[in-house]
Amino acid sequence: MNFRQTNGEARRSSPGEQARARPLVRPYTGFCTLAIVALTASGARAQGASPRPAATAPPVQQITDEIGRRVSVPQPVRRIVSLAPSLTETLYALAAQERLAGVTDYCDYPPEAQAKPKVGGAVNPNLEQVVALKPDLVLATRSINRRETVQALDRLGIAAYVTDPRSVEAVLASIGRLAEVIGAREASEALVAELRTRLAELKRQLGARQPRRVLFVVWAEPLISIGRETFLADALRWAGAESVVETSQDWPRLSLEEVVRLQPDYLVFASTHSQAEGQNFEAFRDRPGWRNLEAIRQRHIAVVSEAINRPAPRLVDAIVELARQLHPEAFPEKPETRNSNGETGMSEKTATPEREECCQCAR
Amino acid sequence: MSAAQATASRAHPAGEGAGWGPGEVRLNVEQASYAYAGEREAPLFTLEATSFQARQRELVAILGPNASGKSTLLRLISGALAPLSGRVELDGAETNRLDPRTRARRIAVVQQESSLLFPARAWEYVLQGRHPYRRALRFETAEDLAIATNALAQVGAEALQDRWMDKISGGEKQRVILARALAQQPVLLLLDEPTLHLDIGAQVELLQRLRQLAQENRYTVVVVTHELNLAAEFADQVVLLHRGRSLRVGSPAEVYRQDLLEQVFEAPLEVEIGPAGRPRVIVQGNRSEDAGG
Amino acid sequence: MRPVTLKRLAWSCGLLLAVLLAVVLVALKLGAVPLSVSDLALNLGRVAIGRSAQLPSEYRLIIFELRLPRILLGILVGAALSVAGAGFQALLRNPLADPYVLGVSSGAALGAIVSLVAAPHLTTLGPLVTPAAAFLGAALTIAAVYLLGRRGGQLDGGTLLLAGIITASFLSAVIMFLMTTLSGRDLRGMAFWLMGDLSTPPPPSTLVRSVFVGGILIAVGAIYTTAADLNLLLTGEREAMHLGVQVTRVKLVVYIAASMLTGLAVSVSGAIGYVGLLVPHAMRLLFGPDYRLLIPTSALGGAIAVVLADTLARTIAAPTELPVGAMTAMAGAPVFIYLLRRRLR
Repeated sequence: MNFRQTNGEARRSSPGEQARARPLVRPYTGFCTLAIVALTASGARAQGASPRPAATAPPVQQITDEIGRRVSVPQPVRRIVSLAPSLTETLYALAAQERLAGVTDYCDYPPEAQAKPKVGGAVNPNLEQVVALKPDLVLATRSINRRETVQALDRLGIAAYVTDPRSVEAVLASIGRLAEVIGAREASEALVAELRTRLAELKRQLGARQPRRVLFVVWAEPLISIGRETFLADALRWAGAESVVETSQDWPRLSLEEVVRLQPDYLVFASTHSQAEGQNFEAFRDRPGWRNLEAIRQRHIAVVSEAINRPAPRLVDAIVELARQLHPEAFPEKPETRNSNGETGMSEKTATPEREECCQCAR
Repeated sequence: MSAAQATASRAHPAGEGAGWGPGEVRLNVEQASYAYAGEREAPLFTLEATSFQARQRELVAILGPNASGKSTLLRLISGALAPLSGRVELDGAETNRLDPRTRARRIAVVQQESSLLFPARAWEYVLQGRHPYRRALRFETAEDLAIATNALAQVGAEALQDRWMDKISGGEKQRVILARALAQQPVLLLLDEPTLHLDIGAQVELLQRLRQLAQENRYTVVVVTHELNLAAEFADQVVLLHRGRSLRVGSPAEVYRQDLLEQVFEAPLEVEIGPAGRPRVIVQGNRSEDAGG
Repeated sequence: MRPVTLKRLAWSCGLLLAVLLAVVLVALKLGAVPLSVSDLALNLGRVAIGRSAQLPSEYRLIIFELRLPRILLGILVGAALSVAGAGFQALLRNPLADPYVLGVSSGAALGAIVSLVAAPHLTTLGPLVTPAAAFLGAALTIAAVYLLGRRGGQLDGGTLLLAGIITASFLSAVIMFLMTTLSGRDLRGMAFWLMGDLSTPPPPSTLVRSVFVGGILIAVGAIYTTAADLNLLLTGEREAMHLGVQVTRVKLVVYIAASMLTGLAVSVSGAIGYVGLLVPHAMRLLFGPDYRLLIPTSALGGAIAVVLADTLARTIAAPTELPVGAMTAMAGAPVFIYLLRRRLR
């Protein structure tokens, strides 16, 4: 058998054969491709279509939020979604909770807030849930929420208002401005006035005392504190304290060595219960590094409620609470105290320089 | 005869060297030499100017011990290397100047082993030999499949068609590898030590088949080997290499001189002429033992 | 004999397209806000006949602004990463090669991050800088891994994988370092770069989107033209050369195209891992190892895989969204180990 064929004389398959080889499956493939392309194209078209029927465009108010964004807030604001616990609290304080359509999983104050529909975490809220709640306005904060979330809301055409208070005064102003945006000005005026009065009273009571040098512990392991440009740092000042951490980063991670070098007078922790149980403190006391701190040795620990972390009306309560712990001698009388969880009762505290307070240090 | 075979045999005019025996010269190696760039420890290796010619239907053996430059010479012939001086021509065209596709249609190199990353069947492997004829973005045609099947038949491996390459024996694999080379429809067939992993039966069978294919398909076959007796038995021409130099080129009877072979292979050897006129090499035992010679 | 023919190609692609369509519909239906099938059908029908203005606005938002862009992005990214993986497997002659395992994804991510950091100085060049920088990062990384993966001048499978894994972890460490020290900037976050995220489509600029889609199509097409050559390359470079493959040219094309695919995918969705490993292998099992089939089926298979993974990621723990890379890693790592063991046996 002669195997050799030069290529030029080789037999080619006829066009007829090739046509038969082309399968009926071609139209089938074509259909699927067409279906997907059609879906995409109509999606593109739908995106391009006008967002609402052109006939009735709702009235909007053009405002600038606290990070400089121009926002068109539809009027009136009937449905609000809050993406931060502090904003949820503020809305309740402004008696606007009826209009609150959605909150985050972490919005725990007041307790009724937990019954509201949830949209997920603050860092990663589920946009579909937000959209499904049909909000007129979404509230967010710069410190807790992500830029991407706000940008996504912009893309979806949903008004997002971002707050960013950097001092206690700014917190109060922020509450006022927020009230204006949602149309609850009257409620805010009374609230803010009361808060200002209490702060003024506190200032008077503290007088010209030397501020305590404190370390505010956001998280114990790893050790995270607060920077000087946060509202927390300002809150400490109002409470007669000064954070020993000097940095422009908002949540600086510190080494224990650094803290030992700084030797703050007091350590301040935020926890959910002011009256904390003692077990954790003892464990803490013997840890390397921590036990070298004067504040630990002398048990100069102050525990305040979580409200100190939130730029909301309760912040003032927490400031007062902290001041009482740091400067007990400034508060000789024992009035009805209202601690930060809203409970009233006679204060059992005596003016002792040292306090046996324990800490639930881990949040 | 099948339709394909009938077409094939009609394609060749009778005037093209009909009959058996070597035809016209196809491969011309003219003073080809090579030198590898030296690595740190290995010395500079050279193949000094070597010349020989190979004809259609001829089987040439490049013979020599290890590290004599056989593989280098083969690579020069295959066009993978460009000679430092001299030229290697196939049908008048320099092999290393050809573009890879054209070269693959004329020269087929038979590997010793097949290293497949993913398991493949024998027919898939052989079909790879049709790659030089493939049209861009087209699949293999029915003709390609016929040629591949023919190739398998020619090496007697038709039954292995659907077997997995990693499941067949060494000898069977060798045949499939050869079939792939045949599917390339080359003019020149090159093999580098093809008998290395085969037992003597398989070695003889391979070389017989190579001679037969050379005749039937009009190949020029060049085989690199160090097997003295196989080369003597099956080669039409022998190129004897020693340390990069070609000591002798010619028919086995001309090349197989005792003094030459002993010099090259550095072993006590004796050459006798077999019944067919082909030399046979016998390894002498311990010299001290046969005192009488 | 069952050779690859156009018919087989069309059937396989047709089948996968049908599966993809089904997966897309499922993905549209599922989510934190469930849509009933009838609602979905009704709304899609409205859109198809051009009455999209009649859609309830929240459906329109959810389907077209949230889910569909995500799904389309998943299709493109999945196709890109799978084809890149198939390409690398042929280029490096290693079935365990994958952009993520070899650190190429991390290199692309690092390139993108560096460009974002340096962006203020490069704004004149526009929004294409980031994908270009990602491509550069990918190309440099694969070159480095290739060089490191050689042993005695030859590519060695085990050494290559090791080089890749070490490079991947080194680059991830650099990324984490940059993310931590540059935390104030708009750099998209560690979870995005290291674990992938399909929730942010490329910017609405037509230029950027067409570069993205076009780039992927061109690169996949380029690799497809070398598909037959890749089949031969897998048997060895010398053998391939003797069979007529222009080895250097083919390697270069695959190198550039696969790096481009990785760079584009990572710059827009972070490093989604193991897609380039799993999908080509699954497609090989289903349709055979011929690259002329493998490339198109891997592209479609990758699209299916990523859309599935993303749908799982956003529905399993609703309303929380898991990173899509976590899903692919959970599926991918065990398969990788299994394949590794099979090779070593």
